[in-house]
Formats: sequence, structure tokens, C-alpha cells
Amino acid sequence: MGTKLVEISGLTKSFDDVEVLKDIHLYINENEFVTLLGPSGCGKTTLLRLIAGFEYADAGVITFDGRVLEELPPNKRAINTVFQKYALFPHLNVYENIAFGLKMKKMPKEDINKEVTSVLKLVKLEGFEGRNIKTLSGGQQQRVAIARAVVNKPKLLLLDEPLGALDLKLRQEMQYELKEMQRALGISFVFVTHDQEEALTMSDTVVVMNDGIIQQIGTPIDIYNEPENRFTANFIGESNIIDGVMHKDFLVEFEGVMFECVDEGFDQLENVDIVIRPEDIELKIDAGKINGVVDAITFKGVHYEIIVMVNDKEYIIHSTDPKEVGDKVSLHFEPEDIHVMVKSNA
Amino acid sequence: MRRLRIITLPYLVWMVVLVLVPTLLILLLSVTNLDIYNIGPFSFVTEGFEELTKPLVITAMKNSVRLSLLATLICFLIGYPTAYFLANLKTSKKTMLITLFILPVWSNMLLRIIAWETLFFPNSILNMFGISLNLIGTDVAILIGMTSMYLPFMTLPLYSVLEKMDHSLIEASKDLGASNMQTFLKVTLPLSLSGVVSGVIMTLLPSMTAFALPERLSGGKTLLIGNIIEDYFMKTSNINGGAMISIALMVVIIVLFMVVVHFDKEGETLI
Repeated sequence: MGTKLVEISGLTKSFDDVEVLKDIHLYINENEFVTLLGPSGCGKTTLLRLIAGFEYADAGVITFDGRVLEELPPNKRAINTVFQKYALFPHLNVYENIAFGLKMKKMPKEDINKEVTSVLKLVKLEGFEGRNIKTLSGGQQQRVAIARAVVNKPKLLLLDEPLGALDLKLRQEMQYELKEMQRALGISFVFVTHDQEEALTMSDTVVVMNDGIIQQIGTPIDIYNEPENRFTANFIGESNIIDGVMHKDFLVEFEGVMFECVDEGFDQLENVDIVIRPEDIELKIDAGKINGVVDAITFKGVHYEIIVMVNDKEYIIHSTDPKEVGDKVSLHFEPEDIHVMVKSNA
Repeated sequence: MRRLRIITLPYLVWMVVLVLVPTLLILLLSVTNLDIYNIGPFSFVTEGFEELTKPLVITAMKNSVRLSLLATLICFLIGYPTAYFLANLKTSKKTMLITLFILPVWSNMLLRIIAWETLFFPNSILNMFGISLNLIGTDVAILIGMTSMYLPFMTLPLYSVLEKMDHSLIEASKDLGASNMQTFLKVTLPLSLSGVVSGVIMTLLPSMTAFALPERLSGGKTLLIGNIIEDYFMKTSNINGGAMISIALMVVIIVLFMVVVHFDKEGETLI
């Protein structure tokens, strides 16, 4: 890592008067796994298509490897894409699909042979050269699509929700394999997904997007533990979001009680949003600072999801220790579990 | 399967009564002296085969093959770009333009042929613009006629495959380094082959069997095989000879189609 491969500044794009990207600033380092994460319609795919060259921005600049990308048509960019529905050529077999890019570069036949064979090994599809695309399973097609892209040795690989069509088990397997592949190949990946778990599992850097705006950029741990706003907190995992008031550095009030916290730099008496993750709250039977009544309990496999009513507000708690509906409980958490964010209007 | 058979019954009856029986009848007429208007005992004859060696028939067959292939090629060269353009249009304009494109087919073909015919004579409405054509009897007249009659039948099957084509395949091709031209040759064209084959068949078949069109536009100078068959049946009442030439035409068409279908690996076309 270190050197910037892609730099995006002031990128804006509209379709029929609808602004899908609003003043995007972002950079991607060499050998970095970046995930664009957001709900559908947030602009993440459009951003990917702008980098690939299938769309052109209304304003803003993308530089790639020191060159302004706008000047290059998609076929002249050292960037390859794995498409959402794979977009494999149905009239070509596995070998011909993978060799397509190399043939365009006029690589000698023997070299093409060598490259295709080695990339098929990488995606674990040895012996599939002559197979018809239509006879492959979803997972195999997925691998061919990845092989067809990486065989060209791009500096940047774009992946548009490539795991969306696969079942859970295969998806988890592919997440792991993609991450391994990215490390082995040493190229940058930009991965688009709406699946927060996928994003947290695979990425070096997660870019959370909503409504065409970047909400937060950070490592998976930062994004999860220190969400910067209500949207990120809600979108990444489950959260309790509570209205609070910051009294001074390291002191916040909510539910009518003062709490020590680890946040600073807010105005005095500034209204803030507080995030507490369901798994960070511990329930005790005795009275405490915040008290409530268990309203519902659901078994979720690894843990119980317990809903506790506090002053007519629901709190979600994840616990391995079951409670009964109607139990009077108190909520406990540590100062570092209280995440203070600037108040969002939404 | 049983249900399917009931649904297909009207079609089967149609095919048997109007296609299979007449075809077998023509086949029978081509090798016998059966009097179709006064059916009685008949015997097999071989005179029909002699008709096929007559220079007039051979010339007409050659003219038909040459002009239909040319007309089909011209229809393809005009029809493909048109279909490509229509398929890539935004939806709002699309419907209107396609309707405009199909509109001529709604008027009677014979009327359209006669309309062309009047334009091809030296004295025509075109004189108003200082233009005087003298095309009747030329290949050009027949080719313009055929192209204008059959162009929609080439364009529409092409349009329907191109319209259905997954646009991401074209993006994938460019993403892998192919230029616009390479993308067209390596992806778009091969994937639209089924439409090409349908279009070629839909154009070639009526061109090969046309008789009204060459009769009006050739001024009797260029004979096509359709005219010969018409003459045998209607003017000289040589039913046996006419039937034999019809069978020969069918064989030529089937051979041409086999060549065409050979290029269609996917086998997704009409035949």
C-alpha cells in the first residue's frame, strides 16, 4: 500500500435530472481492497461504471496511474470489470471467453495458452477449457468471469456485486477466495456490494454511500465501532440510536442520566446521536442508571435478541443469557461502548 | 403432451390441407400425366425432366438465384444498420419509428409494385423534378423492387435479436480491450446470427418465388423462374412441366437454406 492508484475528486453525475453522485472525493491505493457499500440506488454502481468508462461524469476528475481517465475509452484502460450477471459471451466456450482480452492485445497463441491455463488453476477450473458457458453452474460462471478479467493483469479490478446470485455457502467461500486472490495478485480491487457483512469481511477500506454521498470511509473496524452518523450506524449492523446532549468533553447525557464517554471535540450542550451496539449492552436484574422491562425475546441461534422498553423507547440487546418477558432489568455498558455522533437531520 | 396436441390441431390441419397435400400433388403432377381438372387413370412420364434442360428455364433459374441473392445482400446491408440503430434507441421514439418502418407492409404489395413501375418509365411524375428514369427491364429495377418489398422482413428479425441482446456483453467486450469494430465483429454480429439467418430466409424465399414483381418491373425482358412457372400453368397449360420446374425450384431453395442454416450454430431460427 501507500501510492495512490486512483484519485477521484468532485465527481458528479445525474441521470434525467436525478443526481446519483454528488461531489465524490475518494482515493484508492495500490494493492488495496476497497468496498463501496450502500443500499441499492445509492450510486455505488454508477461510481464503478464511471471508473470503468461506461459512463461519463458531469463534473469532476478521475485520475488513474497519473492519467486523467476521461481521455481514455474503456478499451484503453488498464482496468477490468467482473459484471453483476457475469456477462460471459454465450457464443464462446470457457477458454475463448478467458482468452478474449489477450487476443485483443494480439498476444501470441502459445502465451495465451499458458496464461489461460494458469488463471484456470487460480480459479480452480482446470480442465474446463472446452466447456460451454451455458452448462456451468452459477459459481463456475462466476469464476470464469473473474478469470476472464484477471488474466489481463489489470492494475485495478472492478467487481459489481459479483456474489449476489450465489447461495450463502458458496458466497462465503468466494469471499474468502477473492480476498486470497487479491493478496496473491497484488492488484487493487473495488468491490461493490449492499451486503455489510461481505464488506466487513473482505475489505481493507469500506466506503459507505447513501443518496450519492459518501457517508464514511474507514477500515471495517472503524466503520463498525465508530460510525460517524446515524446512517452508517443503522446500515452497518444493528444499533440503538439515542438522542443525547454533550455536556463537555468525555461527558454525555441521555435518558436523563450523565455518562462518562471517550468522545471529545463537541460544542457545549450540543445535541448529538448516541450509538450503542446491541452486543455491548449487558442486562442485570438489579436497578441501575437505566431501567426497563423486557418486552420480547427471540432466539437467534448464537444469541437471544431481547427488546427492552425504557421510557417508551425500544432497546435491542444481544445476549447469550435469556430473560423472561416482563422481567425488570437495568442496562449496563462501558464508556468506550458509547459512540457519540454529530446529530443527523434524518 | 396430450394438451399440446389439441392446441396444435388447427395448425396441423392447416399445414396438411394447405401445404402438405398441395406439395405432394405437385410432386405427383411433376412425374405423371394426371389431368388435374378431370381426374382419371394416369401413368408415370419423364417429359418433365426434359423441361429442366431448356435454355430458357436454366436462364430464368440463374436470374432468380442471382437477383434474389443480390436483393438479400442489399436488404442485409441496409437492414442491419437500421435494426442496430432502432434497437439502441430510447424507448419513447422506438415504437413510433418501428411503426413507420412496418407501415409500408400494410399496403398491398401489388399496388406498391405498380407504383414503382410507373416511376421507372421515362414519362413519370418524376419529370416534375426534371428526372426521367428508364429502368424497366433492368436488373436495377427488379433489385429496387425486391429490396423495397422485403426489407422489413430482413430488418424485423434482426431488430428483435439485437434488442434482446444483453448490453453488458458489449460493455464486457470493450472492458477487455476490444475497439468498437472488434466488439461488433466478435460479439454483436455472432450473437445476432440467428436474426441474420431468419432475415435472410424471410427475404430470400419471397424473392426466389416472386412472379408479379419481375413481370411488372422487367417489361418481359428479364425472366425469373416464377414467371416461367406461371406461364407453364396459366398460358401453355403444361401442368407436368410447370410442376417439375416448381419441384426444381424447391430443391434449389432447400439447398440455399441448408447453406444459410449451416452458419447458424445455435439453431435458434425459424427452421
